[in-house]
Amino acid sequence: MSEDLQALIDEAVKKALAGDDDAINGIEDRVTRSKAKAALVKAKRAQSKAVDENSDSEPSEEQPATENSENIILKIAKILEGKFSGCIDGEVHSDFIQLKPENWFEIAKFLKEDPDTYFDSLQCNTGFDLGDGMLESRYNLHSMKHLHSIEIRIKVNIDNPDIPSVESIWRVADWFERETYDMFGINFTGHRDLRRILLPEDWDGWPLRKDYEEQETYHGIVVPKVKEGWE
Amino acid sequence: MGFLENRFDDNVVVEKLDKLLSWARSTSPWFFQFGTACCAIEMMAAAASRHDLMRIGIIPRSSPRQADVMIVAGTVTMKMALRVKKLYEQMADPKYVVAMGSCATSGGPYWQHGYHVLKGVDLVIPVDVYVPGCPPRPEALIEGLLKLQEQILEGRPLTRKTG
Repeated sequence: MSEDLQALIDEAVKKALAGDDDAINGIEDRVTRSKAKAALVKAKRAQSKAVDENSDSEPSEEQPATENSENIILKIAKILEGKFSGCIDGEVHSDFIQLKPENWFEIAKFLKEDPDTYFDSLQCNTGFDLGDGMLESRYNLHSMKHLHSIEIRIKVNIDNPDIPSVESIWRVADWFERETYDMFGINFTGHRDLRRILLPEDWDGWPLRKDYEEQETYHGIVVPKVKEGWE
Repeated sequence: MGFLENRFDDNVVVEKLDKLLSWARSTSPWFFQFGTACCAIEMMAAAASRHDLMRIGIIPRSSPRQADVMIVAGTVTMKMALRVKKLYEQMADPKYVVAMGSCATSGGPYWQHGYHVLKGVDLVIPVDVYVPGCPPRPEALIEGLLKLQEQILEGRPLTRKTG
């Protein structure tokens, strides 16, 4: 192939990529035209691959290109520390944010409404018994707009397990918090309808706490405790 | 039947009323669909066209007031145990109970650690037939129901029990 022809093809492909298809269709020689079309397909494939790689490294167009999911958490921790000073419990972690329970309601409201964070979706709330008399409530937040997500952890003492309820911020938290209350006895203050959700209303104790003891009878039904020989 | 036999026209069967009643009961034990867990799927399969419980006179009913047999198909939690008892009490006499699967017979996989599971439905209501399995195949359930039919057939509802 002569250099002239190669230059012609390159020119046509460049025009076609810019949106001008007539540049290739206008080539008179059939062989050259088909070569140009093949070159166009190849160029388009290379281009889309480059776009994919770019989108892997940046979660959305509004984030700077260097951002990844790890330092989103650090960034949000920094924002929270600036806005609500002293809200972070202990040291800053790179994969979750440990908060104090005191002003969790205001922080949650901020995280949902601020255009930079915009966590419009509470995906999960669950409880933990950490042992040593500490309970923990964990929240997985996700932003449908920015496509980033964080985990919030809040530790409370087992003797006074009060955490502000976020049920009025994310409506889905209504049943999540009722389940956490049902299993761990974490008292979500400000919840409008904090009842047991799975177990019966008159159940005794919080089953997923480490110190839970099964009750002997329930409404006269004996609970047999034969554990020998069952390894 | 001694002196009454062969004294009537053809197509007339002479039998004790007592035996007739238990025969009638045994051939139409309509069951109350009470699926609480995965056993219910096998119960449905048993009632559906492949295994066809209707060929032995067993028809699913949705109301306890129309049913003779309660098939407890699946795990019974403590919360449900009170409801099981209430539904059993709503059934009209004569009534029978089939405990289907490991959970209903003994608590099954929740025997040791299920704090919320009733360890066998016989702690709450009397059970006539236990069907083991996790879950039992429809054939096993049908076997259990045939055993129940035998049991009903042996019953003498009008005979006064002595001793």
